[in-house]
Amino acid sequence: MFLSSIATGIPCAFGQDSAYLDELQGRAHEQRLHEDPYWQILMHYKKCFHGYTSLIDDPAFFLAPDGKTNPEAELKATLKAFFEEPPEGKQTAVCRFAARYEWLRERLHIDPSRIAQADCASFEEFMQQMQPESVVLVFPMAHLNGPASMFGHTLLTIETANKSNLLAYAVTYSAFANETFGPFFAVKGLTGLYPGYFSIMPYYAKLQEYSDIDHRDIWEYPLNLTKPEIRRMMLHIRELDHIASDYYFFDENCSYALYFLLEAARPGVHLTDSTHGWLIPLDSVRAIDRQGFIKGVAYRPSRTTKIKYLASGLTDTEQDAAMGLAQGTISVVVRDDPSSPGVAKVKTVDLAVEYLQYLYTKGLIPQATYQERFIRTLKLRSQLGTIADDAMEKIPPPVRPDKGHLSNRLALGVGIKGDDTYVEARIRPVYHGLMDNDDGYVKGAQLIFTDLALRWYPQDHKGSLQSLDIIDIVSLAPRDKFFHPVSWKITTGLRRISDEEEQDHLIYQINPGGGMTFSTSHFGLVYAMMETGLNVSGALEHGYALGAGGSAGMLVTPVPRWKTHLYARDLYYGLGDTFNAFEACLQQSFTINPNQSVGLDISRRKTRGFYETEAKLAWNLFF
Amino acid sequence: MKRFMAVLVLVGLVMVAPPVSFAGQMNTGCGVGTMIMKGHDGLLFQVLAVTTNGILGNQTFGITTGTVDCKKATSFAMNERLNTYVAQNMDNLANDIAKGQGEYLNTLAVLMEVPEAGRSTFYAKLQNNFGAIYTSSTVTSVDVLNNIETLL
Repeated sequence: MFLSSIATGIPCAFGQDSAYLDELQGRAHEQRLHEDPYWQILMHYKKCFHGYTSLIDDPAFFLAPDGKTNPEAELKATLKAFFEEPPEGKQTAVCRFAARYEWLRERLHIDPSRIAQADCASFEEFMQQMQPESVVLVFPMAHLNGPASMFGHTLLTIETANKSNLLAYAVTYSAFANETFGPFFAVKGLTGLYPGYFSIMPYYAKLQEYSDIDHRDIWEYPLNLTKPEIRRMMLHIRELDHIASDYYFFDENCSYALYFLLEAARPGVHLTDSTHGWLIPLDSVRAIDRQGFIKGVAYRPSRTTKIKYLASGLTDTEQDAAMGLAQGTISVVVRDDPSSPGVAKVKTVDLAVEYLQYLYTKGLIPQATYQERFIRTLKLRSQLGTIADDAMEKIPPPVRPDKGHLSNRLALGVGIKGDDTYVEARIRPVYHGLMDNDDGYVKGAQLIFTDLALRWYPQDHKGSLQSLDIIDIVSLAPRDKFFHPVSWKITTGLRRISDEEEQDHLIYQINPGGGMTFSTSHFGLVYAMMETGLNVSGALEHGYALGAGGSAGMLVTPVPRWKTHLYARDLYYGLGDTFNAFEACLQQSFTINPNQSVGLDISRRKTRGFYETEAKLAWNLFF
Repeated sequence: MKRFMAVLVLVGLVMVAPPVSFAGQMNTGCGVGTMIMKGHDGLLFQVLAVTTNGILGNQTFGITTGTVDCKKATSFAMNERLNTYVAQNMDNLANDIAKGQGEYLNTLAVLMEVPEAGRSTFYAKLQNNFGAIYTSSTVTSVDVLNNIETLL
């Protein structure tokens, strides 16, 4: 049958080994090695209702023609390949599939002397050069002003014998795309149309991207992998070189790919089977922690965080001096704080240097200007000696993100709307709302996908879909002397609104906006936005209504655990149906523990001249 | 579930004309984010590239990519990683040298194999001679290494 036809196909030079190959294949069959969990990890096989299929989509990864769906045929073909001469210019199978070879050699007690080329010099050289010592899980947090980046990313760094974190190797799995048109990215990324690949680069290059350009704080979690485990991981990474898997934003993403590396490193660990439909990178950090991998944590503030921290320790005048240095309006700092001579001056210059780099990476000053100012300011700095508290080391780390509330939220509530009482159940899988406890999250940022609310009105024995927020993103990024971000929002989904006859209608709504936020000491984040709104529904006279208006509000944390949000929004719809929609709302939430809170919302709304008041009390559970 | 989620989010994304920053920001998360824009080179190649002169360039300030040429600092010429490191971290390294401390400066000492005991003297020397190392605003990474070498 299949096996014998393979045997006869072996080139003459390897003919004498065919008996040994038969023996190994026979032993593998007896031991049912193809059913071994480790073989399934190495091949990324997942059980599905019609057998097995590998999540890897690249034909180059498989040696058997039906290897993607047939673990046994693939194992046989792999053994066979060890005995074959590689195609012209290609590596031997022992080298190309070194992880499989090492595992099979161990399990089948393969005698290397009976295989033509039983070692892989290039892998050993690679390990010699890399000298991997330890592995760190790296989680970059959200952008200052990009809640969409809050979904996050994870990568691994492999630290080497030389003890410099910067020289570690960053291993990251990412979608490979040449397009720059945003919506195409999104569409293709969500539907698995981009191939994903592993790549390796020096960690300093990744840090430039995350800390210096994207301004994302980074959390580093050292893992307790042993040297043999790291070797197995490296072997697996090596096998995945140049191998494509379809990349899915939600589940087969960067974090999921790292699960395979950890499973390959430590047999017996179950990570890839633990996901249910989607995998948020931060949740992957928690899952990896639950499996006992994480042994510590370190915080690496971004340039923005450093600038804010440095500025917070300086007076207004000193901040202005730093600003002047960075913007080239002054070239020396004459003033100094008499109470701490030297230190304030040093910090002023340090702040100027960081801010200058910020201005350059944002494209706000040309390169030649930057270079000249940068060197001039650094020369000034070099004459001021060293200070004990370098900004980088002294920044107090915030709550670590994996200790923040969990990602799924269930809310159960009761409410009164006009004369009716109702009960409401609300559920959303992703991720963080403005009213949720900020510990571990970026303050003023909201990222919500698919928030579903169902209501039951007991008097009327009537249930209804109250709302479905498909996307609800808000970024309240405060402006200050140094940063001038634009706050923005985008909300889209289904919502129930009442008409003049108190009839409820479900409408589809898109509501984007942009504006400004300021951070104040007494009123928290204070913001104002221009907004537009589009309503689409068969219940509308013209089928749609397009309007514009604005909103303003304040988001305060008066005491820890208690958060209030007071806002008003007024939109005038002038195209399609014409009407005015106004709402004023006071939201409050009290955090009971990291994963439970109670919320009380009181709102007054006007739609088409019809007013209604609503109050709702809800209990939130994060899980 | 995957398709369901994708469709739901797509409905939102496709129908919405995103505000200015939205589309751009999407590119930095896990999925559609972290795109590799350049050609994908083999893993082994990438490791070799950062450790040999594969992408060794002669860099000036301003976070730059791409290579200028492949000149090397004279006596550090053998130390490919050092040359690459300095070329690729010009700005952060200059900042640390001016401050007389920091991670980028430490890493320089590691790559130059300065013994732990001699590091504080090394750092002070570089800081005190900042002007002699960074001689102009268009100084290149090769100049920087040559100038450091002259100091030692």
